[in-house]
Amino acid sequence: MNSFKFLGNPTWWKRVVASAFGISFWGFCAAAVAFGILCFSLKGGGATQTALQEDLHILFNLMPRVLIALSIASLIWVMMPRDRMAALVGDNTGLRGPMVATLAGAVTPGGPSSSYSLLAVLASSGADRGVLVAYITAWATLGMQRILIWDVPFMGAEFAVLRFVVCLPLPILAALIARRLPLTLQIKDQVAATPSGNKDAFK
Amino acid sequence: MSIGILVLLVFLVALVTTAIMQQRDFGLVLQRFIEQFGVLVPRMLVALIAAGFIAQIIPKEAIAGLLGEEVGLLALPVAAAAGLVVPAGPVIAFAIAAVFAKSGASTPALITFITSWSIFAAHRILIYEIPLLGISFLRLRLLSAVLVPLVAGLIATMVGLLSSFGGTDFLQ
Repeated sequence: MNSFKFLGNPTWWKRVVASAFGISFWGFCAAAVAFGILCFSLKGGGATQTALQEDLHILFNLMPRVLIALSIASLIWVMMPRDRMAALVGDNTGLRGPMVATLAGAVTPGGPSSSYSLLAVLASSGADRGVLVAYITAWATLGMQRILIWDVPFMGAEFAVLRFVVCLPLPILAALIARRLPLTLQIKDQVAATPSGNKDAFK
Repeated sequence: MSIGILVLLVFLVALVTTAIMQQRDFGLVLQRFIEQFGVLVPRMLVALIAAGFIAQIIPKEAIAGLLGEEVGLLALPVAAAAGLVVPAGPVIAFAIAAVFAKSGASTPALITFITSWSIFAAHRILIYEIPLLGISFLRLRLLSAVLVPLVAGLIATMVGLLSSFGGTDFLQ
């Protein structure tokens, strides 16, 4: 199929490798080595070995989770109609507004550059404050992308499911609070859409 | 296999089926997958290794004494405050969460910590929220959502009374 052409593109592969082993990777590497040396000098070889063995065990458990989670995240990223989402969310008022916004926030693919651009579009199109707060709170706490890519590998799939379920009603709670707070809201009018790049997941 | 993995697998199968029925471009999916894998996995691995060493160095009792099961509900405000002061991206935040989990932090405390970090992440506020929406929205959002991490921890505590679902024992 034509759409798999990128696999034979050396420039694309170079970019993937470059983003995989960028400055922040080496920073984390240096931190890992530094803490390893610190651990060895403070706690001795036994503790260091235990730590490495535990890591190996966790990494072994981690890989299947990462593969499943990343597959889901990539599918959502391709399948979600980002352009239609703003219209869908902005049109709702009452309790329905925050509920739709919560759902939209949870499935908005990509990092903060996509979610905050959408939030800015919503704000400038006059969506009410409950909808705005519900959307961004849902994206922050329930964002599928974050839960799949970070909660699942680091904390386990069960923990991720529990956190998702526990947080599910909370953006609506925040929206109801937002509607009752006696604050004036002045939104900036310019809407600067930042292109969503690959580094997005790190913000 | 854990229930969590099963839930994800069912979800994955549903998505793939939908994608096939809608005749989606799987080339794009694979491209996104490889790009994300490249960015995430190497950092994830070194962060976990660093977290493993840190967990050996720091006194487990201290963490458990602040965030452990025995501390009960008092662990929640501590966890929320800890989440508030992590001004960094997910690699560092989740590495810290893994260290907490290894040191015996309770599940509700971990949920409060991660939720608090995800709501208050300072770097996101500075880079996106203030430039795009302004201070007045930031104020409204923070005041509206300030209770969310604590309520999440409370609900998790109640769930914990009924079942041990969602525990992070495998990390300890």
